[in-house]
Amino acid sequence: MIPELRKFKKILIANRGEIACRIIWTCKEMGIRTVAVHSDVDRDSLHVRFADEAACIGPAPSAQSYLNIPAIISTAEIFNVDAIHPGYGFLAESSTFAEICAACNIKFIGPPANIIRLMGDKVEARRAMAEAGLPVLPGSPEPITSEAEGLSLAREIGFPVIVKASAGGGGRGMRIVHSENELGKALETASTEAAAAFKDGSVYIERYVQDPRHIEIQVLADEYGDCIHLGERECSIQRRHQKLLEEAPSPVLSPELRNQMGDAAVAACKQLGYASAGTVEFLLDQDNKFYFMEMNTRIQVEHAVTEMVTLADIVRNQIRIAEGERLGYTQDDLLIVGHAIECRINAENPETFAPSPGLITAFNLPGGPGVRVDTYVYAGYRVPPFYDSMIAKVITHARTRDLAIARMKRALEAMVIEGIKTTIPLHLKIMDDPKFKAGDISTSFMEHFLAQNGTKIPKTQSGAGALTG
Amino acid sequence: MNDPGSQKAEIELQPETEVEVSSEPVRGRRRRRGSIGAESSVNMDELRELIQLINENDFSEFELEREGFRVRFRRGVDISEASSGGFGPARELAAASAASAGDQAVAAVPSHPGAKAQTEASEDQDLYIIPSPIVGTFYRAASPNAEAFVKIGSRVEPDTVVCIIEAMKLMNEIQAETTGEVAKIYVENGQPVEYGQPLYGIKK
Repeated sequence: MIPELRKFKKILIANRGEIACRIIWTCKEMGIRTVAVHSDVDRDSLHVRFADEAACIGPAPSAQSYLNIPAIISTAEIFNVDAIHPGYGFLAESSTFAEICAACNIKFIGPPANIIRLMGDKVEARRAMAEAGLPVLPGSPEPITSEAEGLSLAREIGFPVIVKASAGGGGRGMRIVHSENELGKALETASTEAAAAFKDGSVYIERYVQDPRHIEIQVLADEYGDCIHLGERECSIQRRHQKLLEEAPSPVLSPELRNQMGDAAVAACKQLGYASAGTVEFLLDQDNKFYFMEMNTRIQVEHAVTEMVTLADIVRNQIRIAEGERLGYTQDDLLIVGHAIECRINAENPETFAPSPGLITAFNLPGGPGVRVDTYVYAGYRVPPFYDSMIAKVITHARTRDLAIARMKRALEAMVIEGIKTTIPLHLKIMDDPKFKAGDISTSFMEHFLAQNGTKIPKTQSGAGALTG
Repeated sequence: MNDPGSQKAEIELQPETEVEVSSEPVRGRRRRRGSIGAESSVNMDELRELIQLINENDFSEFELEREGFRVRFRRGVDISEASSGGFGPARELAAASAASAGDQAVAAVPSHPGAKAQTEASEDQDLYIIPSPIVGTFYRAASPNAEAFVKIGSRVEPDTVVCIIEAMKLMNEIQAETTGEVAKIYVENGQPVEYGQPLYGIKK
């Protein structure tokens, strides 16, 4: 097929925060003009300031601004943009939005709408990926319709099992069940939680893996069927299924296992007809067996660690691919150099994890060799209470993991944010943790870490995270 | 540091008060701080008196332009926030952000469709402002050849249609939602408008 090129002159960024800035940086490097959209409380956000053009699209609540499809499309038409980059969160995984963009002749920078829809339904995604040859955990092929059905299935799989929301993500609508008598209640609460969070109460059951690692493979695919992977990210440091810290490469993956997981992800994406950047998430059990968990059809928060160790600009590749360019790389071009770590800096109390929005009175960015900070805040900025609490990502890159940890420590020590509470002290403690330093981590790391470090977890937070392990 | 609730009490040149003196034309967010003495002929004492006067009258924004200099004083809530009944955590940050982002920010100021109207409307403290409820394209009349819905001096009632805003090929009729007389029109026919952008100033 002859590539159909459509060079973009102007891109609208349907997002806010650090990722909107991150996309603007690459657009500037590519000579593409940018349009920022924002809610009325985000006027002073850096993405608005650094875009070439900007429009206020609604009031503070996301539903009326960043999720307001008519307002975003209307802005795209007024400014005559060629494409929309959705970032992550908000409309990034809305197949409806991708379809509307296409109907309005605006290129959605992401995969085809049908793949977004398929991967958004966790039950369907699991089935499609199993058919495409990825190993999946034993579980229900369809949403569970009754407790009796769930029970017979759970017996077949063997306890412990995990109940998950079909439309799920971010740990909501998840329950770990250790015995038969817990199952009924778990199905009920997970379904209620899922209905509240995703307007879809359907849940399914899967075997629960004790203390697994969360390993994900970054893929890049073009519109002509070419696909490569950029290695893995280790994202096991999570609290209540929210990632706190990520690294690349994983301290435990051998080159053979990396190739095996990467090749499996690439083969599955090729089979699906995937195009754009994407991430295939796997659970890795203690015997180094891996299982498909879900696929994220967008740029991810932690993409930066992959960028550091591979020198790839993932946003640039998303744009190039959306323009109709060929990938232009083969798997043999992949080179992983050194080690990168990312700490997510949230506007939260580092002990109770209570949100801490407010005015940043002093702000110092760390610098020096091998330090990258992606952020949208500055001294004098008031972190609004309406959106995600992540205000910055600190990424360090060095020749080895030990050096990257040492570099992260000194970078976090030099990072000053006053006026609000942040998770910097928490990350500093993690950098000093012997188990973390040894690379001995799993998704239950944070639970043990917080228990040991005397951190109080409020009683109200008795979600799936508290039950893990 | 600054509790938003205590704002009203602070009237001197506190961080949340913005004073801007510039010889440049009024546009967008270009601003300079701390250069009061350096570039203008205005007397500091006069300026202090002025600020006091403004504060006593509880203005949220004031702008004075004479040949060769301009002074702008701002405090309190943005028009868009006021009109949306809004919570306004970002209100006083324009000055602070400009100061911290420095010259780079000046170079990177984006073009905002509503910037000009926002500035103009901010001078008209006595008028009721009809803001745009959506982002779209502003039309003063129902069709290119039709008469404008309202003109300067037109009487409006709450249900009077004052304009159309086109968004995604849909024509949305915008009503005045107040009673009075059209005193100002801040936007041109066919111009893009954003959420909260002032469209009309109504004299009650």
